[in-house]
Amino acid sequence: MSLLDVVLEVAVVVGVLHLASVLVFVGPDRLRPSTAARAVRSTVRAAGTPLVALAAVLAANGVVRRIGVELSWVVGVNVTGAIYAIEGTFVAAVQSYATPAATAYFGFVYVFGYVYLLTFPAIAYALREHPGELRTLLIAYGFNYGIGLVCYVLFVAYGPRNLMPELVDSLLFESWPRSQLLTSQVNENTNVFPSLHTSLAATVAILTWRGDSLSRWRPVAAALAASIVVSTMYLGIHWATDVVAGVALAAVSVVAAERIEARRDRSVGGGADSLDDGDGRDCPDDRDPRDGRMPE
Amino acid sequence: MGHRPSSGPPRRRALATIASGAAVAASGCVGRIRTMSGWESRSQVTLTIKAAPADEDPYALRVGRRIAEWLRTAGIDAQVSPVSEQELFRQVLLNREFDLFVAQTPARFEQPDSLYSLLHSRFVETPGWQNPFGYSDLDANDHLETQRRTTGREREDALERLQYVIARTQPFTVVAFPDDIRAARADRFDGWRSADLRSPTGYLSLERTTGRGGEGSPRTTATESDSEVDDSSASTLRLAVTDRRGTSNLNPLAVEFRRSGVLTGLLYDSLGYVADDGTTEPWLAASWSFDGDEPPVARVELRSGATWHDGEPLTADDVAFTYDLLADTSIGPVDGDGSDGGAGGDEDSDGDGGSDADADDGEGIPDDEEVPSPRFQGRISLVDEVRAVDDRRIEIRFVECPPDIAVRALTVPVLPEHVWSDRTTPASLAGIEIGSVTDALVTNNIPPVGSGPLRFVRNSPRESLTLERFDDHFLVDADRATLPEGVDGPPAFDRLSVRVVGSGVSAVGVVTDGDADVTGTAVGADTVPRIGRSDGTDLIVDGRTPPYVVGYNALSAPLSNPQFRHTLARLIDRTALLDDVFDGYARPAVTPLANTEWVPDELRWDGADPVTPFLGRDGEVDAEHAMEAFKTAGYSYDEGRLVRTD
Repeated sequence: MSLLDVVLEVAVVVGVLHLASVLVFVGPDRLRPSTAARAVRSTVRAAGTPLVALAAVLAANGVVRRIGVELSWVVGVNVTGAIYAIEGTFVAAVQSYATPAATAYFGFVYVFGYVYLLTFPAIAYALREHPGELRTLLIAYGFNYGIGLVCYVLFVAYGPRNLMPELVDSLLFESWPRSQLLTSQVNENTNVFPSLHTSLAATVAILTWRGDSLSRWRPVAAALAASIVVSTMYLGIHWATDVVAGVALAAVSVVAAERIEARRDRSVGGGADSLDDGDGRDCPDDRDPRDGRMPE
Repeated sequence: MGHRPSSGPPRRRALATIASGAAVAASGCVGRIRTMSGWESRSQVTLTIKAAPADEDPYALRVGRRIAEWLRTAGIDAQVSPVSEQELFRQVLLNREFDLFVAQTPARFEQPDSLYSLLHSRFVETPGWQNPFGYSDLDANDHLETQRRTTGREREDALERLQYVIARTQPFTVVAFPDDIRAARADRFDGWRSADLRSPTGYLSLERTTGRGGEGSPRTTATESDSEVDDSSASTLRLAVTDRRGTSNLNPLAVEFRRSGVLTGLLYDSLGYVADDGTTEPWLAASWSFDGDEPPVARVELRSGATWHDGEPLTADDVAFTYDLLADTSIGPVDGDGSDGGAGGDEDSDGDGGSDADADDGEGIPDDEEVPSPRFQGRISLVDEVRAVDDRRIEIRFVECPPDIAVRALTVPVLPEHVWSDRTTPASLAGIEIGSVTDALVTNNIPPVGSGPLRFVRNSPRESLTLERFDDHFLVDADRATLPEGVDGPPAFDRLSVRVVGSGVSAVGVVTDGDADVTGTAVGADTVPRIGRSDGTDLIVDGRTPPYVVGYNALSAPLSNPQFRHTLARLIDRTALLDDVFDGYARPAVTPLANTEWVPDELRWDGADPVTPFLGRDGEVDAEHAMEAFKTAGYSYDEGRLVRTD
């Protein structure tokens, strides 16, 4: 029962955040039922393939995660000791700054902020009818999950809260035990290298920073992504090494997704699918290097 | 090229000189290499400590980390490696891939004979909790055998000496007997304080708090949401556990999946059960008698009307089959009359039909190779032969031992022949046979067919398990006088649901939220304040637990050296562990028999270990003393690092 409660709680909170963000960053005019439905339908149709691909990766993730842990103990390498040898008690040092307020903030960011950060750009792109950016985003998510899953099979690693419980508290689960019902549904405690929280949050931050639209949302994305990255360590769930690997994974995923999208644009005949009405003009200098690079 | 005629004699001579010079030089060099090869390089002693992570075990990894710290102070390169408990047991108990491990043993050692299988060197090659340390000590063997054969003063002597040998040679170091800490709700079920939740009888002794399924009883919000599910859920006992293994494997023989064996203990009956005072009393057996034979013979009579969960009758043949199977899981199906099914008499092992491995008979596992069950080996080693006399009567011949030790063998689970006789074939993966292992050992045994008070309903691997009351069980209309103390009849619940959560703190959270009645696995001392703060949740602390031990792999150098292990044990400060790791919720001990009457006064814990006292104080190893001790043991130091020749 309480798992359902947690899921419901997350859905409600994230829903409210979405509504507010759409009003602020997308514009109320986009929210008219007829306009919104048309925009979403056409954008989603244009982004159909990556959407299906991502769904397939997530479905595979769900299946492989079950046998993956077993497989991981058979073929994988236990790198917990190696990670500990690299960074030692860094996470404990991060946690030494813990305050109840910070714990509440980072706990909120880790669960609610994360879901919000990952889903909002997809909604915004759909409402704004930016199928190209939506496609890039979805492809990048797919790479994150796909590569992450392979890493999880190849590397067995427990997080700092499991390796050094006397130094690192499971702040999230201790302050909000029910959240573990959710996180243990989503992932295993041996799957910490790399941090998918970090990589997906960083992916969103990088893409919005390099993208044309949502420029006013950029600072929000950047701040939220940074908070999530810190929260993974602050809450004792991930090592700094996981975070570094997560950022690298994000970079790889973004580059790969953009390459794929650029190739598609070329074969289709130019990226003319942006129906944007203005936000892109806010930051022309961001656009130039990208445009200059795309036809390479 | 030197063989061309044109090269002439002088040149040839010169070449010869060079060649012979080179040969001399080479031979000198080789000789030197050969001489030097006896003197191998020395490198630092490296030890890895394996332990289950904090999510699964509240203490093991923390104990391991403290010990690693102390070993490092003594110049040993010590690392801690977290591995899941299932994997830990696989690596330690089946593959012996470890240096040190920290874990709670399955046995509480209330019966000293349980040390026999744990330490006798005849079990060095046997997988499971049979001498997982690879320990062999001839004196220990003698004492183990003597205590098994004798009674009275003689046995007391043997056990005393045995404990001294163990304390000195340290096959493992007893860290402490921890308290079993649980959160339990008293609003639906009661009797938590007296119930031993590590044993099936503990769950059977629980009582309903209010009128059976009564609506008028005080309810919490949780039970309201429960009643939406179905009416019967009012009498569902809900467990929140951190050990997920029981949801995907219910094979009582699978050593790496079992901790206390409570779930399989509720699904399977045994002839007898171990009472709180350590004696063995009849359970599935109505009674048994020993008639003074030497070696002893037990005549066991089963309770009448015993039935398997699938409706088949439980007969003496099943019992005889069980003992044969546990002794050697590769036996063929024994003959129907059970008269020739001795534990040792496996000549008829070449398939008497029925099994699908007949085609590859003799290929996977040689006829003379036994594949014993990795659980229950110690108890099975007490049995010589089991014979079904008629449907309800069994005759069990034991090896030479007094009857009160022999009855230990009656506590193994009784398995249905009609299910398990097909599992005696070599196990295969995608048609390929793998090593000396039978299906019986690797099957997940779902759904299980037992005869116990609870019956399997459904499972969702890694998430949940549901069992229900078995209404044909003898508990339903048994004479109370024949039941264990506290067990008054059938279970007080219609269903038992097990739900897996991520960690001890989550388990406590689920209980305090009213979504479970009890934490089905023990939780750490760090959750005590949380349990205490919550209304409606009781803190249950039970001292009847198995000890945490540090096990050493005595088959790999330098741990094969008893003096080395003895010195290692002196680097472990149990007082510091008690304070820092167990928060006082444990009792340090010197010997595994610390909780029994068999422990000699000189081996009782009195704030320090009398045999392996800590080389330091207040949780800090005295590096100088430690180095001194290792040097005395024959090891040397190189720039503060303990080194040995490879």
